[in-house]
Amino acid sequence: MNREEYKAAFDQISFSPDFQARTQALLRDCLRESEKETQKMNFSKPKKLAVLLAAAVALLAVSVSAALFLTPADVAARLEDDPLAAAFQSDDAVALNETAASGDYTFTLLGMVSGEDLSALPAEYNGETVRDRTYAVFTVARTDGTPLTEQPNLSYSPLVAGYHVSAVNGWTLGATCQSFVEDGVAYYLFDTQNLEMFADHTVYFAIYEGSVPDPALFPTAEDGTISLAEGVTGALFTLPLDAEKADPAAAEAFVQSTGLEFISDGEAVGPENDAALREN
Amino acid sequence: MASYASDETISRIVETYSSMLLRLACTRLDDPADAEDVVQEVFLKLLTARPSFRDSEHEKAWLIRTTLHRASDLRRSAARRNVPLEEAAQAAASQAGSELLTAVRALPEPYSAVIHLYYYEGYSIKEIAKLLGVPAPTVGTRLARGRERLRRLLKEDDA
Repeated sequence: MNREEYKAAFDQISFSPDFQARTQALLRDCLRESEKETQKMNFSKPKKLAVLLAAAVALLAVSVSAALFLTPADVAARLEDDPLAAAFQSDDAVALNETAASGDYTFTLLGMVSGEDLSALPAEYNGETVRDRTYAVFTVARTDGTPLTEQPNLSYSPLVAGYHVSAVNGWTLGATCQSFVEDGVAYYLFDTQNLEMFADHTVYFAIYEGSVPDPALFPTAEDGTISLAEGVTGALFTLPLDAEKADPAAAEAFVQSTGLEFISDGEAVGPENDAALREN
Repeated sequence: MASYASDETISRIVETYSSMLLRLACTRLDDPADAEDVVQEVFLKLLTARPSFRDSEHEKAWLIRTTLHRASDLRRSAARRNVPLEEAAQAAASQAGSELLTAVRALPEPYSAVIHLYYYEGYSIKEIAKLLGVPAPTVGTRLARGRERLRRLLKEDDA
């Protein structure tokens, strides 16, 4: 067999003449849908923000909050999600109140709750409703006390020790985020596919300056632990998940579904390399 | 997050990689329509997962591996569907094929991928090693064994 023979055999296969046009149209439709989702994530629609600001001003006019920050339940209620506000007051919720300072900002992870049908607004991802989710509330404030007037340009993502940061992150997990600024503090309600399936690993929550997580932003040590790269403004919190709720099979199925299980920092990992090791 | 979120990028990836990925998927799949489904799925995955790549070679490697992975998945699930013999014969008859194509598809995936990237795409052993993320000597071994198996399969067909 020579190259010409081989090429001729494969050149005989006929594909749809409009394959490229159809595919480009399909991808553009998908892109438009994804942009709509991103708009939802930013929650920066002027109308909604105006309502929230008006509510905040009215509230400040009649009362002075004794607490430094709103509680996670308050944040959910401000975002018109009463069922989620109730969930943050339930026994299943975890109060964290952990703070880290970096660059100009101080980040505080206030609390989290996980479960099915907790929100009035179940999230959609790739056209499917994902009811089983983890919700986290955090704040960002200027460390020097200067009030924030708008949300800083930050990204937020869960990461899981032992999994590549490109495979398990807020983007692959279909995360969304809503936010508002009150009293110079930016409040965020973040939600993602339920993270409890990864609970037998260390699960992190990252707030940082940057885009999609990659090894340059989040180096992984040989033992799988993840850190924030030096010089990157941000914080990496560890989420206290109940290891008994881990579902390794679901976690593995999720990673497989991303199609990114082969990615590694240098040499590829996964079945292809396993096969290579067996052969050598 | 915006690396794949533009019309220009969509045009680029579809125009640059479609032909290569469709033929690659056909090393595992008999039906060109199935190969088209697989490649569309891979592009969609790229658009929605938005992995970050070091360079265009890294991007190409991801597309090649994901296509092989998806095509093998589809082949396995089709095998599980237990297609009746008459239907399978009809499908085979309607497919543009040749003894060589049939023989390539009969190879285990690690062999057919290496054979295809070497013979059709013209990559060197070193380049294939990088694309598939396996050591170069392994690629060499697979190429030699794949060739030998192909030779045997094609001889059996002639006999």
